[in-house]
Amino acid sequence: MLDLALLAFVALLLMLGLKRPFLWVLTYIYIDIVMPQKIGWGIITSPSLKLSLVAFVAAFGGWLLLDAKRGGRFTARQGMIVVLLLWCLMTTFSAEFPDTAWEKWDWVWKALVFAAFLPLTLRTRLRIEAAVLFIVLAVGTIAINGGLKTVGGGGGYGALKLLVDDNAGIYEGSIISTAAIAIIPLALWLARHGTIFKPDWRVWTFTAALIFACLLIPVGTSARTGLVAAAVLAVLMLRSVKHRFLYAGLASLLMMVAVPFLPASFTERMGTISQHEGDQSASTRVAVWKWTIDYAKDHPLGGGFDAYRSNSFTYQTRVVTGEGNSTSVEYQTVTESGRAYHSSYFELLGEQGYFGLALWLVLQALGLWHMERLRWRFGKRAGPDGANAGRASWQWGLATALQQAHAVYLVGAVFVGIAYQPFLFMLIGLQCALWTYVKRTESKQTKAWARRAEALQPAE
Amino acid sequence: MIDIFTLALTHGLMALAALILVTRGDLDDDEAAPDAAPRWKRRVDQPTDED
Repeated sequence: MLDLALLAFVALLLMLGLKRPFLWVLTYIYIDIVMPQKIGWGIITSPSLKLSLVAFVAAFGGWLLLDAKRGGRFTARQGMIVVLLLWCLMTTFSAEFPDTAWEKWDWVWKALVFAAFLPLTLRTRLRIEAAVLFIVLAVGTIAINGGLKTVGGGGGYGALKLLVDDNAGIYEGSIISTAAIAIIPLALWLARHGTIFKPDWRVWTFTAALIFACLLIPVGTSARTGLVAAAVLAVLMLRSVKHRFLYAGLASLLMMVAVPFLPASFTERMGTISQHEGDQSASTRVAVWKWTIDYAKDHPLGGGFDAYRSNSFTYQTRVVTGEGNSTSVEYQTVTESGRAYHSSYFELLGEQGYFGLALWLVLQALGLWHMERLRWRFGKRAGPDGANAGRASWQWGLATALQQAHAVYLVGAVFVGIAYQPFLFMLIGLQCALWTYVKRTESKQTKAWARRAEALQPAE
Repeated sequence: MIDIFTLALTHGLMALAALILVTRGDLDDDEAAPDAAPRWKRRVDQPTDED
């Protein structure tokens, strides 16, 4: 039954795409994030159905054959994505573990190709908004589900069941915590500037509930990454909110009220953030990172996907027993092998070498920078009545939201290997699209003004 | 139960958004009227350019 409903939904989107091919792009975004083929348990899970591939081909074919392509431009950042893709292909050919490397390549190439392609399709304001809406609702599907289950008491590290049983893609605890926090600014932007669902009490109620659910995800999954991400977002939002003091006051009040309600398992685990020596998960991270730095020295071009499998190291972890004066500290020796990177930056360094890491970093930094420039451009613009109209514009709002989402993701990425997640590359795609859109529409406006000014000048 | 509720809620919203998008003129062209009504409705309520 569930399978049929999900299939009917995908079929509806595909059918509507016959009238407006852009909907196929949205279909792919939905399938890539929610992965309906993993939620169901009947026909939809059959590998021969290849939902994701169908949507991908439809989206690309629809654009290639049916779209007007007016105003779409290929930017430098899209070029960088293509170079990164080719570089990954090269390292996959020379990978140390070819089998698992090709397995990872299977989904990474799709994420990269789609990111390079997405901005070409997002050439109108409404399309950009529609893509943001689908990303928010798709991640929201998982977040609302996890939020409700957390309230119902189903949380715990690695214990929260989210729609899908395995830790596939975005469904892994730390990844969904980061992504759920990252969509909060985007959801707020939709509630403020949405034209598909225009701002009214229903939209705001849904947005408030969605944000609450997103904040519950780090609690439910007990992923420390999520808490760090939420803290970063809270600080970043100080930059963009209108009433800073009110916001800071409300945020601290909310935190004080919330802490007593947090489950003990959560507060205990979060307490380990500051004392990482006693924690095996944090100790391994540091050990893997050191190993990766040495590995890169031997393999400057990268070891291909999943190169971490060759690591093995012994380290000491501190265990404190007893209380008060009888406290004793013991050092235990732990040996582990094949530990994952637990950090996107080291994931890149180990798998794609110095060049891959540098390229990836420039790609991310340029995104933050471009959004900052858009914020400047619109932020200083005054309206006809002298009021600050720029900050009220949808472009300023979206640039801010995309920058915040991206920054939150990049901070979360310090602790989790999520360097190639499709969600990240969708954010990048949206940034490229907004950048191109503003450049195109603004230059058109400037030209129009110049023409008008010329016409108004008295003929001599 | 929670699963069904969540899926119904967000998928319902996505389906509704898709239906709205199909009728919006400015999806493919920024300069088109955003509230371009579907053709059948336009014929009844609004005078078209040809009138």
